[in-house]
Amino acid sequence: MKLTRPARNTQSETIIALIDVVFFLLVFFMLIGRMDATAPFDVDPPVAVSGQDMPAGGETLSVSRAGEVALNGVAIGTDAIAESLAAALSRDPMLRLRINAHRDADLRHVLPLIGLTETLGIRDVVLVVTPSRDSAP
Amino acid sequence: MTSGLALRKPRKPGPLISLVPMIDVMLILLVFFMVTSTYLNLDMIPALKRQEETSTSAPEAKPTETLLIRLGANGLPIVRGRSVPLEDLSGYLVARLAEAPRLQVLVLPSGGASTQALISVMDHAARAGIGRLRVIRLDAKP
Repeated sequence: MKLTRPARNTQSETIIALIDVVFFLLVFFMLIGRMDATAPFDVDPPVAVSGQDMPAGGETLSVSRAGEVALNGVAIGTDAIAESLAAALSRDPMLRLRINAHRDADLRHVLPLIGLTETLGIRDVVLVVTPSRDSAP
Repeated sequence: MTSGLALRKPRKPGPLISLVPMIDVMLILLVFFMVTSTYLNLDMIPALKRQEETSTSAPEAKPTETLLIRLGANGLPIVRGRSVPLEDLSGYLVARLAEAPRLQVLVLPSGGASTQALISVMDHAARAGIGRLRVIRLDAKP
């Protein structure tokens, strides 16, 4: 008598675990990411040790090294800034404005923007910085 | 005569939903988010504070002394006509704060100074414990 080995049951590999992992990663990336329009030019914020956590929401005014300005990722002329910010302020009286200036941008490009926001009545203006654990340069 | 034999139609197996397209879509979304996202670690320093934050807080005592720090175009702070290296600024401000606990610091930056220079001065002042700091600028007369 010849004993034949019973054929192994080919179990379909469970893909539920894979789906779980992929779904977890997907949700993770969707949750921790904050969609924000990037400026059409390179902006390297200044380094600071005493910075605070960045609040969410609001408008972002970017200033390049050469002094070009972009509002929420769209390049804007200096003449149109006041109009756009006033419109944003009328939509949201508690408007928060983030000024994301390049670390090498001259202050003659940055300080007038802060003055303008103050004139318009925006009372919540923050300067974007890059946190540093070491001592500030 | 009726027979007891009933022929039953075999039940159709339920439709199988393939999970493979869903996994494909999820993987594509995952790869999209991983590739297109730029993760920036950013902080902020307040430039202007909300009016109600200052009005609801306890009335601040008037500063006893005001220190003006000019920021030159080369990025070096100038205090009382003397250039103070950035690394010495914290120590200098701590000493001044010990003499006058309600010290107010005004920073008058040159338009040619870089943003980093101003942030560094504000940073050193914050680390020295200066609570009253204002950045002022000279407006050209129309």
